[in-house]
Amino acid sequence: MNTFLVSIGLGLSTAAILSLSAVAFTLEYAVSRIANFAHGEFLTIGAYAAYSGQTIFHQNVAAAAAIAAAAGAAAGLALNAGLIQQFRGRSAITVFIATLGAAIIVENVLVIIYGAANVTYGFSQGTLHHVGPFLWSTSDIEVIISALAVAGLIYLLLQRTRFGKAVRAISQDRALAQVSGIPARRIIMQTWALAGAVAGFAGFVLADTVGTFGPTLGFSFLLLTITATVAGGIGRPYATFGGALIVGLVIQIAGAYTSSAYQLVFAFLLLVLLMLFRPNGVFVRRSAVAVRA
Amino acid sequence: MYWVSVFTEAGIFAILALGLDVIWGWGGDFDLAFYGYLALGSYLTFVLTIGRPTPPVQYILGWHLPVLAAIVVAMVVVVGLAAVIGAIALRNLRDIYFAVTTLGAVSALYLIVENYTPLFDGYNGVYGLINPGQSALNLTYNGYRIVFLVIVLALLFLAYLLVQRLSRSPFGRMLRAVREDERAAAAYGRKVFWAKYRAYLFGAALAGLTGGLFAIFISAFNPSAWTPQELLVIYAAILVGGRGNPRGVILGVFVVYIGFIELTRFLPSPASRPDFGPAMRQILIGLMIILMLRFRPEGLFRERPGLDRAPRSARRRLSGSIGALATASAGSTDATPTSAPAATAAPPAPPAPAGSAADEGGPG
Repeated sequence: MNTFLVSIGLGLSTAAILSLSAVAFTLEYAVSRIANFAHGEFLTIGAYAAYSGQTIFHQNVAAAAAIAAAAGAAAGLALNAGLIQQFRGRSAITVFIATLGAAIIVENVLVIIYGAANVTYGFSQGTLHHVGPFLWSTSDIEVIISALAVAGLIYLLLQRTRFGKAVRAISQDRALAQVSGIPARRIIMQTWALAGAVAGFAGFVLADTVGTFGPTLGFSFLLLTITATVAGGIGRPYATFGGALIVGLVIQIAGAYTSSAYQLVFAFLLLVLLMLFRPNGVFVRRSAVAVRA
Repeated sequence: MYWVSVFTEAGIFAILALGLDVIWGWGGDFDLAFYGYLALGSYLTFVLTIGRPTPPVQYILGWHLPVLAAIVVAMVVVVGLAAVIGAIALRNLRDIYFAVTTLGAVSALYLIVENYTPLFDGYNGVYGLINPGQSALNLTYNGYRIVFLVIVLALLFLAYLLVQRLSRSPFGRMLRAVREDERAAAAYGRKVFWAKYRAYLFGAALAGLTGGLFAIFISAFNPSAWTPQELLVIYAAILVGGRGNPRGVILGVFVVYIGFIELTRFLPSPASRPDFGPAMRQILIGLMIILMLRFRPEGLFRERPGLDRAPRSARRRLSGSIGALATASAGSTDATPTSAPAATAAPPAPPAPAGSAADEGGPG
């Protein structure tokens, strides 16, 4: 029983990180209609930016997080302007392959800058706390609170601002949004910056949680992100949080009873099951339909 | 001897690329599990031929089969795995969903092989010299390398003839028809899933064969030999050579492997930074993929029209309108995922019905 509760606690903190990454992925999809394979690299860039920043700001966690988010936003803008927009009008799979190329470039640029070996932050993980039935470290709690805060912010941004309204309009129908006077190009740019910032922050949080990381940090997190996104239903930011919760809990609980090395295997099994039976997300009440993205 | 080994490797990868091109070039399915088939074929060739493991090392089977039999068994098992993955991934999923599912499958395979040591000794991998017929032919090591190169090139030629023939056969044309427009092909009575599924199994069989050749060639195999990056090189080679054109694909592999990888060996690689050279090479591969896709997606050698009867100009007009249809229907499918069957039934779906779920507001 204790193992079970502890793994639920771990699952919740994994889900928190995952939801950050997945909501960014789904925002990118919502406005540009492409699955960004270089998404994991936003996380890696955020993590390394914070790593570079921590020496300047003397272990200040908030400053490191801000740097990670800023670097992620810059990466989001750069990818959209430099790659995604160059491929406008091309098939989704072509853009997907192009982002795969971009991912490999970014990963290896980071190898050249920082080396292929793993690096570690100097931030303290804090002490362990018993919160209700769960056992969390201080940083786990910070992660969960910040994920909830980001979720709330994104909700307000999408639901209560003109920007959010424009994003929703574009995700429904870009052409229609454009003829209604929405500056689609600019809004999409801003969305990529937002998604990049959230992903960069997620990368920092992820790197801090796992303790040590290398240039493949984001890439290895990408499939988990995609699984969570698909579980929620791709292009649906709020449902993504539910998807992240499912994936986080499944891998931590299954991992606790087998071996943590097999956590990802369960994630992929989940992904395959989702693809077979619920390719549009578990929250859509429809049997599996043919998916031709 | 250095060039012998370079050409042998390129030859093996050319066979692999021919298999992948049947799946991706003709079938249009971007398969990320493909390198896993080579890996499985390679592992199996080892455990079927090198005999019992000595204690700290552990792996399954440990038989002493003749190499030819081992490669055939390996190919059968690989095709079996591909049959499972293909049945899952090809049934309803296309494009990105297919790619992601195959990536998930190969990642699961990778993690299991890496972590479950009784299978193929986990991270250490398996190794052993399997040089079929070396002692029988009474050859030196170097002599054998040359003979092996000749065998690989002969197999490549056979594979090329087979694929070339397949390319012009009704099967090859059906695959391309399915790739260009599934609905139209289905309307003409083609069984879309079976066409793609058979292509997938054929490609996997070639991957299994190359796995066996690879085992002989490098005489060791472990998880670091089949990281996701390896497959990207093959895709880059196909893109450079010309997707869908067997001759172009082979040329692409030789260009990318020999002209490119060998030239970049001479990149400055400071002793303090041993990872600089390989990383630089990966960056160039990524750049090559992006630039080819952006500026010359058909590659150096365009896919040949085969026996299509319509003249070139007509085909271009036709494919243009098909493309327009595809984007129109894709747009509506994306907006409301639940309306996908409707869009399938009526290709030129106007955007209007897509907006009917206005309360959904995009974000769910």
